[in-house]
Amino acid sequence: MLERRVTISNRLGLHARAAARLVRRAAQFTSSISLEREDTGQQADGKSILSVLLLAASRGTPIIIRAEGADEERAAGSLVELVEQKFGEEFSDGLF
Amino acid sequence: MGSSNTSRSRDVRMRGLAASPGVAIGQVLRLDERGRHQFYYVGVSPNQVRTEVRRLQAGFAEARAQMNDIRVRLTRELGREHAYILDAHMLMLEDERLHNEVEQEIRVRRINAEWAVRAVTDRLVSIYKQVKDPYLRERASDIEDVATRLLTILSGQTKFDLSKLDRDVVLVTEDIWPSTVAELDFNRVLGFATDAGGMTSHTAIIARAVGIPAVVGLHEVTKHARSGNEIIIDGTAGEVILRPTRAVLRLYKEKREREARSLANRSTQAPVVAETLDGVRVTLRANVELPTEIESLALFGAEGIGLYRSEFIFLNRLPVLPSEDEQYRLYRRLAEATGAAGASIRVFDLGGDKLTLEGFEQEQNPALGLRAIRLSLKVEHIFRTQLRAILRANIEGNLRVVLPLISTINELRQARRIIDEVKSEMAEAHVDHNAKLSVGVMIEVPAAAMMADVLAREADFLSVGTNDLIQYMLAVDRTNENVAHLYQPLHPAILRTMAHLVRVAENAGIPLEVCGEMAADPIQAVALVGLGIKTLSLVPASIPLVKTAIRAVEEARVRQLMSEAMKLTSSNEVEDLLKREIPRQAPRFFLGV
Repeated sequence: MLERRVTISNRLGLHARAAARLVRRAAQFTSSISLEREDTGQQADGKSILSVLLLAASRGTPIIIRAEGADEERAAGSLVELVEQKFGEEFSDGLF
Repeated sequence: MGSSNTSRSRDVRMRGLAASPGVAIGQVLRLDERGRHQFYYVGVSPNQVRTEVRRLQAGFAEARAQMNDIRVRLTRELGREHAYILDAHMLMLEDERLHNEVEQEIRVRRINAEWAVRAVTDRLVSIYKQVKDPYLRERASDIEDVATRLLTILSGQTKFDLSKLDRDVVLVTEDIWPSTVAELDFNRVLGFATDAGGMTSHTAIIARAVGIPAVVGLHEVTKHARSGNEIIIDGTAGEVILRPTRAVLRLYKEKREREARSLANRSTQAPVVAETLDGVRVTLRANVELPTEIESLALFGAEGIGLYRSEFIFLNRLPVLPSEDEQYRLYRRLAEATGAAGASIRVFDLGGDKLTLEGFEQEQNPALGLRAIRLSLKVEHIFRTQLRAILRANIEGNLRVVLPLISTINELRQARRIIDEVKSEMAEAHVDHNAKLSVGVMIEVPAAAMMADVLAREADFLSVGTNDLIQYMLAVDRTNENVAHLYQPLHPAILRTMAHLVRVAENAGIPLEVCGEMAADPIQAVALVGLGIKTLSLVPASIPLVKTAIRAVEEARVRQLMSEAMKLTSSNEVEDLLKREIPRQAPRFFLGV
């Protein structure tokens, strides 16, 4: 199992669209993906959007990403990259 | 009756029953209630469970197809960026956890797909709404959106969100259901007009309770009225006028002013309480399961909460246990909403199977298995977390705990010892809490009923859960169609047990309350009052109905009636007697005259 630490850094946090991107990305890998809020210990299934949304991780929240399976290395790396790149963009309109 | 069949003609006058006084003038909102019946909690048999699960799966598939169509259209018209939010909705519909949770809800609780969807999504929304970040909190609407789509599909019609009306309306509908009323935004609803109903219909009672003009029993108002039509409701005269002319409108606006003035004078009187004609006061509390029901307490005139089914917070999220803080926030809401009247929290009434705890296998007979207090005493840390949350929230109000499925005094003693330990731990750690916490015993096992005098010595109050008590006393699973007819709340064995419990509580000098469906049925509720019960807890929407029934009878006479009923030999005889005599004693209520 691989464990990586990241901090949510986009302005709006892990909201619906960001969570959707993360879940879609996680689904590309066969490894099981779990997330943990380092501050509260709350866990989420990285392939379930409802689970991820319930983390309610706003900007600044430290997250542990865990990947376990054949492609765990690529999976963890790819997800860390997604979070660090603020889910592909910084949203300007603030709507979603 | 309607003077015309065309929907265009003006000044269409209809006569019905004057259900709630006052004049309302506004625009019609037609509500189709047929599909909404499904939003009721419906218990289903084991065979129907499979049907409900299949309906659920078909509903998910249809919802995904609809979402995909919308996404394709939005992408074409607005570009990919704007359609992206729909991805989140789509992912929710594909979310295996959501599927499993709702399916589990149907299977474990044996309920209809609609209620299962609502219960699961309500819980998700309530968790989301507690998030500190206001932006993230807003995203609860995404879950609501998906839930609405699913419910719309499941009930086969277009759902209208009644809690978000953007203008004042007069509701015109065949009949209105309590679940719908609970959602209504009463700042926006000016009046009701319904095809169905008498003076004791839900609409009439609720309209009176909240002071909104209503005319019911119009038979075909829904045939003539269209959404957007102008309408006058004269709830004093029992008349409805559709598409009035300007002259008629002016006339009624004047009448509305006059009536509003006289009604304002009346509402300064003391609020109506549940008191019999001969002055015996009965307390009516609410049974609450969903957090959204907390808001309806004042609306229906509940005097606190008599039964909060706390396991709601647990279901659908397993194996993740709710944290102490999450529970604390919920219990604090209960404490704040009920004030001095208080709220009785039934500690987790769960089976080990539902918790999917390691080492707990599927049981042959879960109803008699490791559940409720037995589980709390076995997996103590879950119980202790809940107690800490309750004791903290108790600062904000007056909370009580009720222990479910007690069958021996030892369980009560053990639970009390744990409660005391938790209190002293909190005191030592300087955690703010209110240690003044009443501890009640749920009487639902026949052994507990027999031994109630012993339990009463060490309990602060007794609470009778009629649904389970009847099930265990009569050994009947009422969801089993083959034996459902044997589920008889008026069985003399049940009446004798109730009478016994009343004596026990009186001797011990502790409160006794009854919660369960018996308390929500006007005849049975009156029968309970006749047995000497002074506190009933029931579904909030039924409180106005039961209150009106209690106010229509004399306690001395129903007490006499019940002592006769106790001498009878079978449930049928009791039922015949009560259905004949109670309406005779209170014709104003039961016969609508």
